[in-house]
Amino acid sequence: MKFVEHTGQETVIKLENVSKIYKGEHMALRDATVEIEKGEFVFLVGPSGSGKSTFLRLLNREETAEKGKIYVAGKDIAALPGYKVPYLRRNIGSVFQDFKLLPNKTVAENVAFALEAIGRPKSVIREAVPQILELVGLGRKEGSMPNELSGGEQQRVSIARAFVNRPLILLADEPTGNLDPATSVGIMKLLDRINRTGTTVVMATHDRGIVDTMRRRVIELDRGSVVRDQARGVYE
Amino acid sequence: MAVRLDYVLKETGSNLVRNLTLTLASLLTVAIALAFVAVSFLIGTGINQSFLGLRSDVQMFVYMNPGATADQIDSVNKSLESNPQVESVKFLDKEKTYAEFKRLFADQPDFVESINPEELPQSFRVKPTSTDADVVSAVGTEFENMTGVYRVEYAEEYARQVQKSLSTLNSWVRLFGVALIFVSVLLIFNTIRTAVFARRREIEVMRLVGASNWFIRLPFMTEGMVQGLLGALAAAGLTWGFDALWKRNFVNQVSFELLNQIKWTGGDLWKAIIMILVVGAVTGAVGSGIAVGRYLRV
Repeated sequence: MKFVEHTGQETVIKLENVSKIYKGEHMALRDATVEIEKGEFVFLVGPSGSGKSTFLRLLNREETAEKGKIYVAGKDIAALPGYKVPYLRRNIGSVFQDFKLLPNKTVAENVAFALEAIGRPKSVIREAVPQILELVGLGRKEGSMPNELSGGEQQRVSIARAFVNRPLILLADEPTGNLDPATSVGIMKLLDRINRTGTTVVMATHDRGIVDTMRRRVIELDRGSVVRDQARGVYE
Repeated sequence: MAVRLDYVLKETGSNLVRNLTLTLASLLTVAIALAFVAVSFLIGTGINQSFLGLRSDVQMFVYMNPGATADQIDSVNKSLESNPQVESVKFLDKEKTYAEFKRLFADQPDFVESINPEELPQSFRVKPTSTDADVVSAVGTEFENMTGVYRVEYAEEYARQVQKSLSTLNSWVRLFGVALIFVSVLLIFNTIRTAVFARRREIEVMRLVGASNWFIRLPFMTEGMVQGLLGALAAAGLTWGFDALWKRNFVNQVSFELLNQIKWTGGDLWKAIIMILVVGAVTGAVGSGIAVGRYLRV
């Protein structure tokens, strides 16, 4: 599958009246309609259980919606056959609160793993891994094991892994949820830097300070419904 | 997108080594189960062959009256020879019968002395074409009523019993073999499921970065195949040892009346070994493919 890149502003994510119902009763997302353009930085805010994670999981087809249409880079992702879903995910980097690093691999191996897994040749991997580790500020830690790193450093590894393939979109689910405020600032600077390369960033967060400082687009969810969508918004 | 071979080999190797105790434990159990499969196959084959040997011995005896005339004997002989159910006929005249009689009762010379060869009935030893006990007894009844015939004796009861118990034994052995194949499949499957479960985070990450399902599956499948094959190889060793022991202790040893009849060829041994190698490799690969499948649902 090819993701066509145009110049200028272009919609990369589009939700049309999307509803997600778990186990036939709980509505995790209710008739959501959202458009996100290429290069945007979007905060998803709202209380726990408001549907932020579901929103993100729908975008890389970890989940499928019961109602409505979801387009990523112009493609209706519900129409993708199962064998093409991996190709969708190659265009979407994911970062999580718990990092999801492999504990028995070094920093460099964790990042390289993302390229190996999509069949990139060794020569590319040898070049790309040190480069991306330099970018996230871990140039000297490539041989360390994840448990030898601080939380902030681990999150940098996970961002490096998500971004090493230069995806179109970066999804971050509470990336600073386990980090202290000072460390969180560093992570947000990194995400901002990645956003400036043209990568669309969608980040679910509870962190009022971060949202209020960055003044980016804010989409607020409440019990599955989009209750606010504000450019250069604040947490509340 | 081609899956790189060196990646698959590296992953397979490191996973087998990483879970060494688990790998060894499952190898042993698989080996023992598959060895039992092969052994039950060999014994089943052996029983089948001994069964055939016994069945070809099923004979029928048509005893003539001691005073039967030559004409009567001749007529019985003719109808026996023309009967389509009869394969061969051998006539035992008075001298031959007496010789046989002397051989059978060699340990009772007094009894032999007391018998006059003239009093012994002449008989036909009949080998029916069919080995089915029902057919044999039908043929026997046909000749029972001919003039000059004293009585017909056949190995009917004996044949029936042997046939019945051997086919029962054979189907038990077969059932046992099938059950053991099933058990080995479950064992391999379970081991791999444990290995897959231990690596579910890795699978999750692979899925997140967009690895194709085959890319995720292949190292597990080769791992399963290698495990199944190694288990089967160990089982082949055990089977070979069993074969040697059996041949040395039972085959053609007069002291074991029934066991010495149960034997198989080298070809049967190879068949059994190839069978368990295939079962091991296929269930290993397919089993792990299925076990991983649970984590691949998109």
